[in-house]
Amino acid sequence: MAQQANIGELLSMLDSPVLSVRDDVTAVFKENLSSDRGPMLVNTLVDYYLETDSQPVLHILTTLQEPHDKHLLDKMNDCVGRAASRLPALSLLGHVIRLQPPWKHKLSQAPLLPSLLKCLKMDTDVIVLTTGVLVLITMLPMIPQSGKQHLHDFFDIFGRLSSWCLKKPGHVTEVYLVHLHASVYALFHRLYGMYPCNFVSFLRSHYSMKENLDTFEEVVRPMMEHVRIHPELVTGSKDHELDPRRWKRLETHDVVIECAKISLDPTEASYEDGGDSVSPQVSARFPHRAADVAASPYIDTQNSCGSATSTPYSSSRLTLLHTPGQPPQALSPPSTRLLTEPPQATLWSPSMVCGMTTPPTSPGNVPPDLSHPYSKVFGTTEELSGGKGSVTLSDLPGFLGDLASEEDSVEKDKEEAAISKELSEITTADAELLVPRGGFDSPFYRDSLPGCPRKTHSAASGAQGASVNPEPLNSSLDKLGPDTPKQAFTPIDLPCGGASDSPAGTREHQTPLESSILTPSPCKIPPQRGVGFGRGQPPPYDHLFEVALPKTAHHFVSKKTKELLKKAKGNTEEDYPPSASPVEVLDRLIQQGADAHSKELSKLSLPSKSVDWTHFGGSPPSDEIRTLRNQLLLLHNQLLYERFKRQQHALRNRRLLRRVTRAAALEEHNAAMKDQLKLQEKDIQIWKVSLQKEQARSSQLQEQRDTMVSQLHSQIRQLQHDREEFYNQSQELQTKLEDCRNMIAELRLELKKANSKVCHTELLLSQVSQKLSNSESVQQQMEFLNRQLLVLGEVNELYLEQLQNKHSDTTKEVEMMKAAYRKELEKNRSHLLQQNQRLDTSQKRILELESHLAKKDHLLLEQKKYLEDVKLQARGQLQAAESRYEAQKRITQVFELEILDLYGRLEKDGLLKKLEEEKAEAAEAAEERLACCKDGCSDSVTGHNEEASGHNGETKPPRPGGVRGGGGSRGSGSGELSTPEKPPSQRAGPFSSRWETTMGESATSIPTTVGSLPSSKSFLGMKARELFRNKSESQCDEDSVTIRSLSETLKTELGKDPGTEGKAPLSLDGPHPSPPTPDSVGPLHIMDYNETHHEHREG
Amino acid sequence: MTEDSQRNFRSVYYEKVGFRGVEEKKSLEILLKDDRLDIEKLCTFSQRFPLPSMYRALVWKVLLGILPPHHESHAQVMLWRKEQYGDILHALKVVRFVSEATPLVEVYLRMYQLECGKLPRSPSFPLEPEDEVFLAIAKAVEEMVEDSVDCYWIIRCFVNQLNNKYRESLPQLPKAFEQYLNLEDSRLLSHLKTCSALCKLPYDLWFKRCFAGCLPESSLQRQVVWDKVISGSCKILVFVAVEILLTFKIKVMALNSAEKITKFLENIPQDSSDAIVSKAIDLWHKHCGTPVHSA
Repeated sequence: MAQQANIGELLSMLDSPVLSVRDDVTAVFKENLSSDRGPMLVNTLVDYYLETDSQPVLHILTTLQEPHDKHLLDKMNDCVGRAASRLPALSLLGHVIRLQPPWKHKLSQAPLLPSLLKCLKMDTDVIVLTTGVLVLITMLPMIPQSGKQHLHDFFDIFGRLSSWCLKKPGHVTEVYLVHLHASVYALFHRLYGMYPCNFVSFLRSHYSMKENLDTFEEVVRPMMEHVRIHPELVTGSKDHELDPRRWKRLETHDVVIECAKISLDPTEASYEDGGDSVSPQVSARFPHRAADVAASPYIDTQNSCGSATSTPYSSSRLTLLHTPGQPPQALSPPSTRLLTEPPQATLWSPSMVCGMTTPPTSPGNVPPDLSHPYSKVFGTTEELSGGKGSVTLSDLPGFLGDLASEEDSVEKDKEEAAISKELSEITTADAELLVPRGGFDSPFYRDSLPGCPRKTHSAASGAQGASVNPEPLNSSLDKLGPDTPKQAFTPIDLPCGGASDSPAGTREHQTPLESSILTPSPCKIPPQRGVGFGRGQPPPYDHLFEVALPKTAHHFVSKKTKELLKKAKGNTEEDYPPSASPVEVLDRLIQQGADAHSKELSKLSLPSKSVDWTHFGGSPPSDEIRTLRNQLLLLHNQLLYERFKRQQHALRNRRLLRRVTRAAALEEHNAAMKDQLKLQEKDIQIWKVSLQKEQARSSQLQEQRDTMVSQLHSQIRQLQHDREEFYNQSQELQTKLEDCRNMIAELRLELKKANSKVCHTELLLSQVSQKLSNSESVQQQMEFLNRQLLVLGEVNELYLEQLQNKHSDTTKEVEMMKAAYRKELEKNRSHLLQQNQRLDTSQKRILELESHLAKKDHLLLEQKKYLEDVKLQARGQLQAAESRYEAQKRITQVFELEILDLYGRLEKDGLLKKLEEEKAEAAEAAEERLACCKDGCSDSVTGHNEEASGHNGETKPPRPGGVRGGGGSRGSGSGELSTPEKPPSQRAGPFSSRWETTMGESATSIPTTVGSLPSSKSFLGMKARELFRNKSESQCDEDSVTIRSLSETLKTELGKDPGTEGKAPLSLDGPHPSPPTPDSVGPLHIMDYNETHHEHREG
Repeated sequence: MTEDSQRNFRSVYYEKVGFRGVEEKKSLEILLKDDRLDIEKLCTFSQRFPLPSMYRALVWKVLLGILPPHHESHAQVMLWRKEQYGDILHALKVVRFVSEATPLVEVYLRMYQLECGKLPRSPSFPLEPEDEVFLAIAKAVEEMVEDSVDCYWIIRCFVNQLNNKYRESLPQLPKAFEQYLNLEDSRLLSHLKTCSALCKLPYDLWFKRCFAGCLPESSLQRQVVWDKVISGSCKILVFVAVEILLTFKIKVMALNSAEKITKFLENIPQDSSDAIVSKAIDLWHKHCGTPVHSA
């Protein structure tokens, strides 16, 4: 809340008259806005503005930066929604968008736009509508792409408002309708310019309906007369128009100019396209006009206008200008009504027009109070000339100064009083006056700020306003007068003194023109001066423009002058029907307002005219004031809109200017290039010449070279010829050389051959000589041999003779011998036969014998097998028997042991009895013990135990002895081994068997008993002997029986066996059971021819 | 040959079904029909197959050399054996070593001692360890063989065989046992080693007594084991021991001290002995190969 209060304070401070405070506060606000992103501050500012129309606040709001735009738009949307704040909100919106903030593209998306459109469609207040339409028109070029969504809204609005213009629903005053009409006209232009196809189709569809036909006839058609055919209608399409790409490359001012291009209305139209074509015309005309300036400025301006617009109307207008008496037939009803009383005056005389043209119904021209109308009229003038700012005011004194002499003193006084009043009203924040007027004054006020002349003036007026004295003001104005005119009419200079913003400049030089003719204040003066003044006025500054401005400026000026002229025409010749555009109507209305104002002035001086006012006036004064205020408001809006348009034009101009300068630069560049080209051409020429020279030289050189070449060629040819000759010669020589070589080689060969031949012959020669010698020796030998041969032959013959003599005796002997041989041979043969037969028989016998042998062998084998079997069987039985025998031996051993034990005991007992008879008790006990032993095993065990304890020394020794003896008995050879150890046994040997010796050995501890132990006598020995004898006998018997039954072949051998067996029983006294067995086996072994070895091994 | 083929054509199925030795009875009969009994074939047979109980005594006697291979001499030899038995028994009675009340097993022991000449001076002398072994074996055989003569002879010859034929191989058995246990289950072996129970295992019980008193007395399986031992392979004992350990592996692994393990192994549960023995035989066949008919 503190902040709120603070803001409120600051806001109030914002409107403080102190400039520095205001700046400071503004800076504070801007800082806040840059730091704070919330909507609160913006809302507060908007509210404050809507409440107070504060200019600084407006300034802040219009320069809002990006993040706050949304809040601002939201707030404005909010305000537009409310009927009470709608109008100020719209005007604020207008202010904001006219400055084209950087976020203007967001407008199309903002909810504000639909609500604006809705408002335009729904609202019934003309002022609001007009303001809104103007805002919309201003906005449209900024957001062309939004047309896609809202196009039909635009069209609907247009349709509604256009019908409004005609039907005037409710109690809408005519004056408002003029404004509305103008704005609708602008809207028409805008829509037609931007969306021609869609718009035309809309028009077609909308006005094809019968109920709308009137509207079309009355309102739309005249509008259409002011446009040319849009080229898009031919080339474009509905969709193409709405294509965002189309709008992307166009800036706002491009769109505006685009719209202006298609306008035929001189007030609206742009001449940019025709600029190039027109400007020469103008420039061409310029001297002519300059010459004619003094003579007929009107014609001149009209000419320029005509040439500029190039409309057919210009001539007609011209003619009409000179024939003003015609009544306005085809004017629209309001205009006709406005111009019910056609102006009789051909010349531009406001007082007359005022009196004549002001319609009785028009409330704006009927001031209820003298002072009020004055102020109102001034207000409107101010509003109209809002753009002029200080210049207007500074102009005013100039004009006043000029006119001072001519003016009526009273009128002058009045006017001056009004001005001073106005000024005082501006400076002194009079609550009553400020509230309705503030909205309109603000732009003016703001615009006037930059202008220094205005400042000084305002300061002066402020000072004067306080005193409310017309005289000082007058004097001050008078004083100012001489100084200011120059400033006023040099538009280029002014901006330098004014502000840095460039639009101001254009605005500046626009304003003087307007002010000079348009503004009521100067306008109302001319009537006193007459046309002469109007004619005389242009020259002073016209040439200045031409000097100071480029073509465009000139064009602009000419256009403006044309406009002026047209307005003048509009005023003077309202009767020509088709050309009266709503704008013109509005202009005319304003004109009339000015006239009314002047009329009021004149009425003061000429009271008789007041009767007319009362006669015409139909409305009560309070209503009138409101109407006037609203009108003022509307005009202000219109003005702002126009100003916006102007800004766009200015932007355009600047761009074009840039283009011009660029073009100029390019031209310069072109010229430079051309110069360069020329220089280069010259160079080329020079080069060409030198080329020719060089060519000539080169041809010369070529020729020289050719001749040289030909010479050299001939030389070459000669040399070649020579070379060939030489070559041939060398060839010949070479062939000769070859021949020579061949010859040499042949000769060499021949030489070799000859040499070899010589060698060969030499060799042969030596050989031959050798042979010769040999043959010689051989011949000698031959001779010798021949001689020998001869000798031998003789000897041979001699022998032969001897031999023949001895041959007859030998034959008989030979025959005899032969016979003997034959006989001998036969004998031998028979012998051989005998021998053969013997051999055969013997062989047969051998075979027989062999088979026999084999049989025998087989038999033998079988026998052997059988024998083996039997042997095995016998062995098995023998083993059993042996084991039995062993057992028996053990048994006997045990028995003997037992017996010995018993004996030992007995002897012990005897000894004991003999030695210790007195110890009978002990003996008895021993006997008892023995008895006990005999009785039972259990007793014996205990007894033995006792014995063991008692006779330890005696019982133990026998046992090892027995064991040893057993060992000796088991092995046959072991007995001898043991003998050396025990000599007593050797001694005992003679009378006892080995069996007994072992026993004796076992009984070494008792030698007496051993010696006295006759084996045969003892019972056991007898039994044992019996057993052994029986066994061995039976065994032998069995053996013999079985063996006998075996085979006959072994009978002889078996026969020996019984013998040996028989011996065994005889030797049974020596109780050796083992000896027989080896013996019995032994013979068996002998029979094993082949397997003895094996058997032995087994054994 | 025809006999063989007839015998064999069903045996395949028997083997598949798991009846081992069903058909063997016939082949054994064939073997026993030979006049001179082929000891080698009988050995191989009894190693390969379990002996039918009705022929067991005969085969054992033949294999142990109590009866000769010739049928003719059987009666004679048997008579002698009987007489020998009677004599010894008589002698023992005479020297009052045994009485009517003396248990048969002890009688056998005394007889054996007598035959070996090791008879102590008095029956009251403490028994030697080998006598204990003899007693255990005698007790086992007594249950198997009814006739006391046969019984004594079988005991005698069996013990003799152990003492003579296997004298060299019996001490090697613990090593072999260790080796095969390592092959079958090295973890168990390592466990035993860590418990230092390996040297304290009841080797006496297993190898010297041939599981007499270890495997159930009524068990046919022990007889089967003995078949193998008598027929000449004492290695089967090793595999039985290994299999016992494998069967009771979990329990053995749970035990940590050597004493406990030994105690447990000395009193192993009797119910699973059949499985142990059959597995042991499989194991034996696996490691030593199936003995082949040499003939």
